Amino acid sequence: MRRMSVYPQHGTALENLGLTAHEIQQEVENNTSELVSDLSDLSAGARFQAIRSLPMSYNERKAIRNRVNNIKLSKTILPTDCRQQVSLSFRRFRASLTSARQRLVVWQDTLKEIGGRFGTSVLSYFLFLKWLLKFNVFSFVINFCFITIPQIVHAPNISHVTGFRGLELLTGVGYFNQTVLFYGGYDGEVIVSKPAYNMQLAYFFTIAAYMVLCGLSLIYSMSRSFQKNFVLETGPVSGGAWRLLCSWDFSVVNEKAIQYNKNNLGIQLKESLSERLQMKNKISLSDRIKHLSLNLVAWLLCLLLALGSGAGIYFLGTEQLTFSFNQDPNDLVSEASTLLLPVVVSLINLIVPLLYSLIGKMETYSNPRAKIYISIARNIILKMSLLGILCFYWLNFVPDKIPCWESFVGQSVYRLLIIDFIFCLLGIFFGEFLRNVIGTMCIQSLGVPEFDIARNVLDLIYAQTLAWIGIYFSPLLPVMQVLKLFIIFYLKKLSLSMNCQPPKHTGRAAQIQTVFIALLFFPSFVGALSMVAFTVWSLQPSDQCGPFQGLKTPFHTIFNWTDSIQGPPETHWVWWIFENVLRSELFYYLISLIVLVITFFLWQITQGRKQLIKSLREQIVNGGKDKAFLLNKLQNIQRQRREIASYSPQPIRRSMRGSVRTVAQEFDQTTYYNPNWINTLPMDM
Amino acid sequence: MGNKQTIFTDEQLDAYQDCTFFTRKEILRLHGRYHELAPHLVPMDYTNDPDVKVPLALIVNMPELKENPFRNRIVESFSEDGQGNLSFNDFVDMFSVLSEMAPRELKAIYAFKIYDFNVDNYICKEDLEKTLNKLTKEELTPEEVNLVCEKAIEEADLDGDNKLSFADFENMISRAPDFLSTFHIRI
Repeated sequence: MRRMSVYPQHGTALENLGLTAHEIQQEVENNTSELVSDLSDLSAGARFQAIRSLPMSYNERKAIRNRVNNIKLSKTILPTDCRQQVSLSFRRFRASLTSARQRLVVWQDTLKEIGGRFGTSVLSYFLFLKWLLKFNVFSFVINFCFITIPQIVHAPNISHVTGFRGLELLTGVGYFNQTVLFYGGYDGEVIVSKPAYNMQLAYFFTIAAYMVLCGLSLIYSMSRSFQKNFVLETGPVSGGAWRLLCSWDFSVVNEKAIQYNKNNLGIQLKESLSERLQMKNKISLSDRIKHLSLNLVAWLLCLLLALGSGAGIYFLGTEQLTFSFNQDPNDLVSEASTLLLPVVVSLINLIVPLLYSLIGKMETYSNPRAKIYISIARNIILKMSLLGILCFYWLNFVPDKIPCWESFVGQSVYRLLIIDFIFCLLGIFFGEFLRNVIGTMCIQSLGVPEFDIARNVLDLIYAQTLAWIGIYFSPLLPVMQVLKLFIIFYLKKLSLSMNCQPPKHTGRAAQIQTVFIALLFFPSFVGALSMVAFTVWSLQPSDQCGPFQGLKTPFHTIFNWTDSIQGPPETHWVWWIFENVLRSELFYYLISLIVLVITFFLWQITQGRKQLIKSLREQIVNGGKDKAFLLNKLQNIQRQRREIASYSPQPIRRSMRGSVRTVAQEFDQTTYYNPNWINTLPMDM
Repeated sequence: MGNKQTIFTDEQLDAYQDCTFFTRKEILRLHGRYHELAPHLVPMDYTNDPDVKVPLALIVNMPELKENPFRNRIVESFSEDGQGNLSFNDFVDMFSVLSEMAPRELKAIYAFKIYDFNVDNYICKEDLEKTLNKLTKEELTPEEVNLVCEKAIEEADLDGDNKLSFADFENMISRAPDFLSTFHIRI
């Protein structure tokens, strides 16, 4: 009975109600049959998940599973052996799929080691990196298979203007100029083969399909994460109870890390105790106004810094353009000068966040979580405004001035990514290694640097935005991103173990994870998608290079294709759908209206559920009060009866005394007070 | 299905796969780990379900549990006799619940058992004090320990009986989304 009574109410209730052993057994048997019949009604997948989640010992679960299997077998019409074999092989197949999928997981052991030494919040950074890696590998695979291989197999005559010099790796021009690395290396011909392979359509659809799949995957992850982590927060959540019972990280196995976590927990508990004492004094109005004005000033400064950097990049970019891109391939100096813009961008990305954290030190926030969110918001505004200015400049000025402008944009993105990678390496060296050396040897008060998860994740998001922007202009760019992520993974792990310590405040890591995924979707992915969509929809592609030569906009390939399939009757319906459904605005209005109506209904349901939770909570509190009241009343009655029973008045005859005593004995025997009576009350009030 | 192993019958492995969150390979690996703990005690052949229990002292020496402040309570909660002697089924059960695939409700049940030191199905103030002492050693003074535990009960106790029942505990867990990832031991 020990393991069955995990639900405290049921076990102790049965024992205390004074049932005999046989009756208890009967009760247990009834519960088990109910459970078995419930389980056999579920679908296969849900059934096994439910069996695995039963809070019983292994042997009991196995017994239930056998009973359920027998019931399922007896319900079928096929002969027993055949059905058993089929279901057995089906289950084995599903299990082998799971184990095969696990084998494909890269870095499994490394991640276990990182989680064991540094805890789950640092592990979340590495998991995020691994997730981004999946996007890039997928993009590389489909771009390579559908676009690059046909192009290489059917390669047109591209003469290389120069041989390979070392500078290409940094700048992307020269030798790489006409290769398949960039847009210019692709050709828009229809490859004559069986069946005919239209390179224009292939290019367009591959990029479009990848973007759509990416978007769907991001939306799905975002909503799953939101559902899991942003639960209704009613009541104090960042208090002592949570910290004591829910925040201890069981996955840490390293002795030093555990000691570190224990120290942190002690410090945080002390802080929260002292905060509680301080919070008794209310903040005065003038203090609040002061804090608010400081916050406003800080925000103003940050926005000005972001605007200033954006304007600086803009002027630098236009200057470089008017510098007139010298076509002489041997002019190494002017080629190297194209690296100036990426270097300045990376410097801004490095220095301005430090300034932001300095500005942040002068503000005070009542909520430490608000501080993290505001710093994330400011950094994202900076990074996205930089990227926005760059995109604006690329899409508005470059197409008129440069002959093969898509390759130029691809090369610019390539340069930005490479320089960002180099700065990341430098950052690991200077920011973490040297800082550790300084903190431990020279200026002892600085201490070992903390691993700043937010800053690192935002850097990853920035690099991924660049990669998404660059996919249209340089289909093989994901290769570089994959290599970069691989190297950064190992270097960060090394740097973490040698130089940094895990962050001290690890609360609410799951919610910050959701925020990061949401930031990856908007503004990062949405921004990249809108830029690519604008390019495809409205800009005129260059005349001399690329798959869309001669068209008015790249989107016209779709029009040409639909015109070509309008004729033959077997493909006429595709044209019909395209022309009358996808191109008509009414369709989109209807869809938007339906989605809005469904959203409104779901929101109302959520509101209703919130009300329900509130009233249920009140019921629990009232139930507790009822219990306390009844307990008190019973204790009073007991006391009164005992007093009456023990009261013996002086002038009493022998026989009366005897009878009073026997009556008192009777009372004593009948007043059976069970101190555990409270457990016998039904819990479902 | 491939490699011929003689530790378990196919039926046993199927049962393990259906009733725990592990695959066949992981079960075999777990058996290897279990055997390592007490090579002279644990047989390599489990086809006839031997009744072997590894004592508590050997299990808490595993690298995954060695430094965990709650190692004794964890092992005790999963043992049949409550003393911490685990059979192989209990061992698998323990790591199955602590794996990342176990659902929140199941983990909450066992977490409650772990924190309930006096095994009375309630987390009372003494249980909280013991938890706090295991987590912070000598960092806090006794008055501070007292204050923290009182505050914790105040916050989490919904039905007003000055101790945390399983319902209170589960309510608190439902508001802590990190719990799923922190109550997790990798093996």
